Amino acid sequence: MNRARYAEVLRRLAANDVEFIVVGMMAGVLRGAPLLTADLDLVHRRSADNVSRLLQVLAGLDAIYRHDPRRLRPRESHLMSPGHQLLATTHGDLDCLGTVGEGQTYEDLLDRAPQLNLGEGMSVRVIDLPTLIELKEKAGRPKDLAALPVLRATLSETLKRL
Amino acid sequence: MTDVFADPDPVPCEPDIDENGVDLAQIREMLDLTPADRLLVIQNLADSIADIRALNESRPVR
Repeated sequence: MNRARYAEVLRRLAANDVEFIVVGMMAGVLRGAPLLTADLDLVHRRSADNVSRLLQVLAGLDAIYRHDPRRLRPRESHLMSPGHQLLATTHGDLDCLGTVGEGQTYEDLLDRAPQLNLGEGMSVRVIDLPTLIELKEKAGRPKDLAALPVLRATLSETLKRL
Repeated sequence: MTDVFADPDPVPCEPDIDENGVDLAQIREMLDLTPADRLLVIQNLADSIADIRALNESRPVR
């Protein structure tokens, strides 16, 4: 497994004008939850132009399917689909999700993913905590349920500061 | 502030833990950081885990 370089992956995506929303545990961390994650999950806009830009970034990161011994590379048809592309890159694991939850797309999530400034002029869309909690509740896997108390407490503490 | 010399057996403060066992102090520390700093925190944690994995891989099997 290559060492994760989260900021560099996000910087490359942003620099190439890829439209995406950070979801998953990384979104929780960026919103203030003290969680640990080993990968970066994002939902991308599934338009031909955006997928083309995303593919360019993925090629630069030498992305391959991480659970496939044939070292297959993601293609346009994969990224245009609503499925989950679980990739290994030179900068760590990266999951490009066509949809999340009950088929929610980039466009569906846009209003619930305000931009966060990650420094050096980089702003990325990150799913908000109520939506992340909703997604984790619906996913219902043990690892999602385990993170819920921390996410809920983080939301509660965040609301106290408003 | 409690004068520890006047009170030789002071009672430690209660930890700031919610009913689910979540450490609220840790959350407040994260919320005090900027999103860029939070990214740095998770990066440092990931680096530490990678370092530990690398050390374990280099250990001879007995």
